[in-house]
Amino acid sequence: MFKKQSVVLTLSLVAVIALGMFAAPLAAQGNTTLVVWDNLVRPEESAIMDALIARFEEAHPGVTVARTAKSTDDLKATTALALSSPDGPDVAMVNQGQSDMGALVAAGLLEPLDDYAEQFGWFEHFPAGLASLQRWTPDGMQMGEGDFYGIPIQAELVGVYYRTDLFEQYGLSIPTTLAEFEAAMATLAEAGETPLVFGNLDAWPGIHLYSEIQNAELASREWYDQFMFTTGEVDFDIPENIAAAARLQEWIANGWLLKGFEGIGYDDAWQLFSAGTGAMLLTGSWLSGELLPGPHGADIGFFVLPALEEDGFKLTVGGTGYDFSIRAGSPNVDLAAEYINYLYSEETAQALLDAGFLPVYPVDTSTLEDGLVKDIVLGWNHLNSTDSVGYYMDWVTPTMYDTITASLQELMAGRVTPEEFVDVVNADYVAFLLEKGVR
Amino acid sequence: MIDSSREMQRGNRLRALIPYLFVLPAFLIFALFVLLPILDTVRLSFFDWTGFSAPNFAGLANYIELWTDRLFITGLGNNLRFILFYTVFPIGLALVLTAVMTRRRIRGMSLFRAGYFIPYVMPMVVVGVVWRWIYNPAFGPLNQALGAIGLDALARPWLGDFDAALPAVGLIATWVQYGFCMVLFIAGVQKIDESLYDAAQVDGASAMQQLRHITIPGIRTEISVALVTTFIAALRIFDLVFVTTRGGPGDQTMVTSLWLYRNAFQINRVGYAATIAVAQSVLILAISAVLLRFTRTSDQEEVAQ
Repeated sequence: MFKKQSVVLTLSLVAVIALGMFAAPLAAQGNTTLVVWDNLVRPEESAIMDALIARFEEAHPGVTVARTAKSTDDLKATTALALSSPDGPDVAMVNQGQSDMGALVAAGLLEPLDDYAEQFGWFEHFPAGLASLQRWTPDGMQMGEGDFYGIPIQAELVGVYYRTDLFEQYGLSIPTTLAEFEAAMATLAEAGETPLVFGNLDAWPGIHLYSEIQNAELASREWYDQFMFTTGEVDFDIPENIAAAARLQEWIANGWLLKGFEGIGYDDAWQLFSAGTGAMLLTGSWLSGELLPGPHGADIGFFVLPALEEDGFKLTVGGTGYDFSIRAGSPNVDLAAEYINYLYSEETAQALLDAGFLPVYPVDTSTLEDGLVKDIVLGWNHLNSTDSVGYYMDWVTPTMYDTITASLQELMAGRVTPEEFVDVVNADYVAFLLEKGVR
Repeated sequence: MIDSSREMQRGNRLRALIPYLFVLPAFLIFALFVLLPILDTVRLSFFDWTGFSAPNFAGLANYIELWTDRLFITGLGNNLRFILFYTVFPIGLALVLTAVMTRRRIRGMSLFRAGYFIPYVMPMVVVGVVWRWIYNPAFGPLNQALGAIGLDALARPWLGDFDAALPAVGLIATWVQYGFCMVLFIAGVQKIDESLYDAAQVDGASAMQQLRHITIPGIRTEISVALVTTFIAALRIFDLVFVTTRGGPGDQTMVTSLWLYRNAFQINRVGYAATIAVAQSVLILAISAVLLRFTRTSDQEEVAQ
């Protein structure tokens, strides 16, 4: 009896192994699994991504896309390790900047995409100015030179969401100068409304608010270009940056920001605005898809924070979402490139736009109805036509995020003066210039 | 004769090995998942390593940097401040509650006991999210309650306020820890001889005197356990700060674990993060050893008396 059992066992084992041996090559031929990681976790954007992937799989029989959506923090903490594993994701979303894409390039973890860009004609539509943010020298130290490592599909710009019904009620129009914007805030405050909804408990929203004021004060792009490309030519402690810090303190002293903003999280702040608190919200276009279905979605418009002077130049914080990059050594490089090409296409762009998100790929605006989405697309087109897409300054040095967020909280609480604030930021910046060897 | 005794000796030796055999599987798992990572962390602390490129040997440079690292020192200072909220308040509160709950018959006592213990069982992330809502200045119940009783002047953006943030986070820790201390103390009180209290009562000792002279000496071991565990919790605090303030505003609630996390996962300085981990562990071990030694000698004194 024992013998019989063991024969059966052996036979079935042999069968399993034999089947497995046959199954393996079959799988490699007919069923490829493309592993992709992205950070599109908010409900609306995640749903679009799933729909797009379903269409991609339909067009590529035998291909399965295994998608993992991770929050931005989680993605940042795990991507480097995952990309250095032979079983890591084939496609992963990577942030621009020295401590993200730069570090990954230096470690040889990303596939250069120049050949694919040429093959698929990406640069016919992708502006060279934006492409330079994805170019890195092999040592990961200099941005803007070297190979091309990733392409984003979503564009974003930081601007002001405003309640059209409240603007009408108080006789306000879209401001064309920073002074007009401040006057509008004063009017709203006098009427008992919260002029600007803002929450800085999570610390990073402060970067956007400060940078937008800073962009207005600077009124040109030369300084910022030098600053972000860390050429060693410029410092942070310039009068414009001090003036911007002083202006931010003034807005707070005037009570123009949501009361208690120091203790309110980013998500709580925009949800308050979505539910009807306040007249304006300064944040990125990435929220449009979440704000539109809200109770006041039909009454929300969007404008770019105006320059100091009417029709004057002003950079606007913005750029693109995270890049889609390919892991060096992925066994499915060609398929991965095809996937990225599908995401950077007119079809995907239209799907994003239909759901209220801003695609990088240029879209036809003539068919757009008036409303929030159109406002944002027009704003983005304006930035592109005036070459005024600005920067997220937190990624200029690896430690800048920590430095700028903490010191902005100090500035907003009035614990440091504008001069002390720029000194702290400049110290971080200069330390990096020295380390890099350009000072 | 000689042969058999040798055989017996061998048998004894083998028998002596058997207990180790039983410990072996557990030890292997412990070695693989605890010991090796610890040793590897110590090794890494002598390197400059981004986490994915080749590590460079750095000697003692990381350890020297610790002494001048403003954020590490700030973090350590805040860890020490958190001891007040992790250790001092919960143990004090738990002592009072223990005295009340064990000396009086209260209806539904087990319900209260379970209720006070629940915060300790809840995941810290959930606790953090709940308290972020309670502290929210726009719609949180705390400021609304203050407003309702006319104390608007006290309302503030708790977690974002430079003066209030650390105590606000600390109170959450107290809320979590006191239930654990209390359950520990109540268990300890149960082994104290009831006749001691009876005798004290006959002698006219007040409730406060009974607490001081009977209860506290009687649960000295439990107090020392509570001391050590809450102390360690204060020194390794991470999740609570991460969920509520991320170390802000400014660096008001920065703690060493959070600075470790940022170095490892945001600034790509894994070697230096390992150094912080080693320093933190050594500190925790040293302080625990002192605390344990201190409480042990006092136990022995008690026995001697």
